[in-house]
Amino acid sequence: MVPDIDGKLHHFSNVGLYDGLFVMQDGETKTLWNHITGEAMYGPLVGHNLGPVRNLLQMHVKQALAMDSKMQVAISDRIYFAGGRQLGSAGSPGAGGAASRASGPNPNAEMSARFIPTLGKEDPRRPRMELGLGVWTGATRRYYPMERIRERGGAFMDQLGGRQVLIYIDPETYTPAAMFVNASSAKVEDNEVRLNNRSVVRSGVLFDHGGKRQTAERPQQVFTRWYGFALTFPGCEVFGQ
Amino acid sequence: MLTRHSFGRFGKALGPMLMLALGASYAAVAFAQVNAPAQLPNGPAKPGFDIARFSDNGGIFKTFNVQQTEPLQKVLEEGRVAGDTPVLVTETAGSKLALLTDQMVFHHLAQGRAGGKDWMAAF
Repeated sequence: MVPDIDGKLHHFSNVGLYDGLFVMQDGETKTLWNHITGEAMYGPLVGHNLGPVRNLLQMHVKQALAMDSKMQVAISDRIYFAGGRQLGSAGSPGAGGAASRASGPNPNAEMSARFIPTLGKEDPRRPRMELGLGVWTGATRRYYPMERIRERGGAFMDQLGGRQVLIYIDPETYTPAAMFVNASSAKVEDNEVRLNNRSVVRSGVLFDHGGKRQTAERPQQVFTRWYGFALTFPGCEVFGQ
Repeated sequence: MLTRHSFGRFGKALGPMLMLALGASYAAVAFAQVNAPAQLPNGPAKPGFDIARFSDNGGIFKTFNVQQTEPLQKVLEEGRVAGDTPVLVTETAGSKLALLTDQMVFHHLAQGRAGGKDWMAAF
């Protein structure tokens, strides 16, 4: 996102919840903003948008360097974990990744009661807390349930905005992702996604049949729970139904 | 106490980072530390937006104000990250940029300037 409005830099913070999703506020006008779409929701800047919104792709360091060996990193003073060690100094490990990483996610957890009053009218087509991949273009908003991606072997081709799009679960990180490619079928083998045009997606990078790295364009996407995507994009398409 | 949801096998790799991917969870302790309610303007609202459903978190999350970046490869070689450390990758006008997922679970927002342009990432 671009935090400039009418050419002037604004400063944003996370101030609360709406629709079970965190809400941003700029310090200059106190306007509330949607953190997924960048759209102003409440306040004097309603009608403005912080676009273009860019993808925030989830991966690990090795994949990030495979994507771009000149990748930069920004590290704050906040505690984090790497290679089994605790680094950083600010905050408490429990508020970040350590506690959750040690115990793993609770398979029986439900949405916190604090979130529920912030929800709007929910879309009952899918379970509230289901995980999936949400993608959107100018005209299309579509949700791919994880189970539908798995049912198709973890990788398949679809159409999005008139283009061929690969929908897959990354074999290394198990996160779903979407990438525009010129192919008609895909399958997961040996930790990579193989396309019928003999290209492969390895560590999130597209290579042609000769092993040459290709520029990969990705649609706007987010790994999300159903409620979040459905409330952000009411009436969105659901793949397979 | 953390509020957690089921991620199944995904939890093994990237579950922690997903906990807040869409604001699906907050550290419940955060709500106990509420000390600075958000100042709200008196509208207007986007059509369909209901301010009564907004829940203030007291301003406990601090945006990461990015002042400097460094090569990820160098940081890896120095042992400050590992190959399997989860990151969130965005693109600025200057370069591709990785943010540490563990840290963004707290910050939620990062802002900076690169290549002569301001940027912001929300997680």
